[in-house]
Amino acid sequence: MLLSNDWLTVALAKGRILEPALELFAAAGIHTGRIREESRKLIFTLEEEKLRFVLAKPTDIPTYVEYGAADLGVVGKDVLLEAEKELYELLDLRLGACRLSVACRAGSKGFTGGYVATKYPRIAERYFQGQGKQFEVIKLHGSVELAPLLQLADVIVDLVSTGKTLAENNLVETEVIAHITTRLVANPGSYQVKGKRVMELAERLQAVLERKVVKP
Amino acid sequence: MNEILKRLLTPEGVRDLLPDLAGQKRKLEELMQEIFSRWGYREVSTPAFEYSVNFDTEMKTDLEENLYRFPDERGRTLVLRPDFTLPLARVAATHLAKEAKPLRLCYGGSIFRYAGGLQGKQRELTQAGVELLGTGNAESDAEIVALAAEVLQAAGLLDFTLCLGNVGFLDNLLAAYGFAPEDGEKIKHFFSKKDFVSLRELVQSLPLAKDAVEAVLAVPGLRGGAEVLEEARKLLPPGADKTPLATLEGIWAVLADYGVSRFVTLDLGMVRMLNYYTGMVFEGYTVGLGYPLCGGGRYDQLLVNFGLDLPAVGFAVSVDHLLTVLERRKLLPERKTLLYLAYGAGSRAAALAAARQLRKNGENVVVSVQESTAEEAARQARACGALRLLYCHGGKCSETTLDNKGGGKDAAVK
Repeated sequence: MLLSNDWLTVALAKGRILEPALELFAAAGIHTGRIREESRKLIFTLEEEKLRFVLAKPTDIPTYVEYGAADLGVVGKDVLLEAEKELYELLDLRLGACRLSVACRAGSKGFTGGYVATKYPRIAERYFQGQGKQFEVIKLHGSVELAPLLQLADVIVDLVSTGKTLAENNLVETEVIAHITTRLVANPGSYQVKGKRVMELAERLQAVLERKVVKP
Repeated sequence: MNEILKRLLTPEGVRDLLPDLAGQKRKLEELMQEIFSRWGYREVSTPAFEYSVNFDTEMKTDLEENLYRFPDERGRTLVLRPDFTLPLARVAATHLAKEAKPLRLCYGGSIFRYAGGLQGKQRELTQAGVELLGTGNAESDAEIVALAAEVLQAAGLLDFTLCLGNVGFLDNLLAAYGFAPEDGEKIKHFFSKKDFVSLRELVQSLPLAKDAVEAVLAVPGLRGGAEVLEEARKLLPPGADKTPLATLEGIWAVLADYGVSRFVTLDLGMVRMLNYYTGMVFEGYTVGLGYPLCGGGRYDQLLVNFGLDLPAVGFAVSVDHLLTVLERRKLLPERKTLLYLAYGAGSRAAALAAARQLRKNGENVVVSVQESTAEEAARQARACGALRLLYCHGGKCSETTLDNKGGGKDAAVK
């Protein structure tokens, strides 16, 4: 039998997708209002729903879910691709849509080999490995756009949403590696043992998404 | 790095088990073998490495890339066993080919795989499992599932779920709706990883009828009790082969008779990575562990590769994962209290005689390796974690119970 094993813990990525994610849960009838207001607290308990929300750094979400500290996680596909964990990907929440792309200085000939600066070394490695080019990946933690300008790297691999930051730094997007959105992921143990609760929550969110699908 | 530091490292993916945990792991393995024998399974032991060809059959999935291969002195390729099912199939087809069927065999030991997939980061893993060979009905499938439930319960777990599926259901559904075989393979891959986002993207991009798309996307929701079999039947178009559902229905009924239904969830989207499975498949999960505790299924086409055409079903427990869960939840049995035996001048013979007797009675006894005073003896006893001290002096041995801090209380005199 499916157990409706009491409480569910959901880890939410802090940052730009937090607001829209909370709105999505609210649209599914889960009162996340309190989470929006308080910002220093990291754990929020919703007694009536038997839900616990924890706020964490996006790159830590797969780890929390992998070890079962959280049953579910809400995090970008970019983070999941880089983390390479065995998590179940239940839903595309269609939030924070952007691209993970290769970019280089405007006017340069595109990537024929050389140095790649990125916050996503594993993704970059996997992507260029399949192309038979000589390359070396340089891991940076932010402002990746600087690297080609200071000739630290020939190209960068980074998230692009409007392309404004790239343009301001005289860079152009040359290849799209993946289309990125926010996903709902589950710990395999939680998915099985707390099956009923996980499915109910996923279905509620899915219903909201289906209502929204008419909108562009 | 200097030479000594280099010698202190172990390779990635293997680990030392330290006192207490190593013993607890062995106890757990013994417990499982004990249960297997109570169910009539007989243990076999196979070599740690074999010819590569034994593992090439039917193993075209992820596992093949994860094998430890190396040449022997004549250049033939050997493989560290990545699995016990194939070696046991070989044993059944050779040494035991003439034995009466059904044949019940069990095993326990290490398997070796490069890390990845469902095993986590470890590369040497301990398994304990069984194979039931020569019988193909629902009762034999159910026996394996019920045995898995008993083993996990005996180990001390109560909140686990065994999810039960049948690889034939998805195969038949995909065939009946006219999915191309290569799309079907991709779809099954997404099911095995429960990547429902990619599944939805792929299925919706294919030029197929709406009912076909809806049927595939409804499969992840087919989880629960016997009622999901009814829902599953409705998803199959008329004329589709419904045998896998009938098989599951049969197994479900036998499991009810075993009294283990509360641990079992039907999951019709369940696909296991190894492609030798032909029918029922199952995996066991518990909260807080991202990997299966156990898994298995029916593989009726595997033994024919070894020249013996027999149906078979089996499962294995991932002992390391089970041990991790039990350790975290403090469910491992405590080690037996240790007795420290020390002696004063001239009392060594008396002490050793006492030790012999105590050990014969089943006590764990550490004997001091030098003469000591009563105070020194108490200090030594505490240092090695003993809670009881027996001190022999002038022909008499007296026992003291030690508390954790200091001081002691005199107890019985022997």
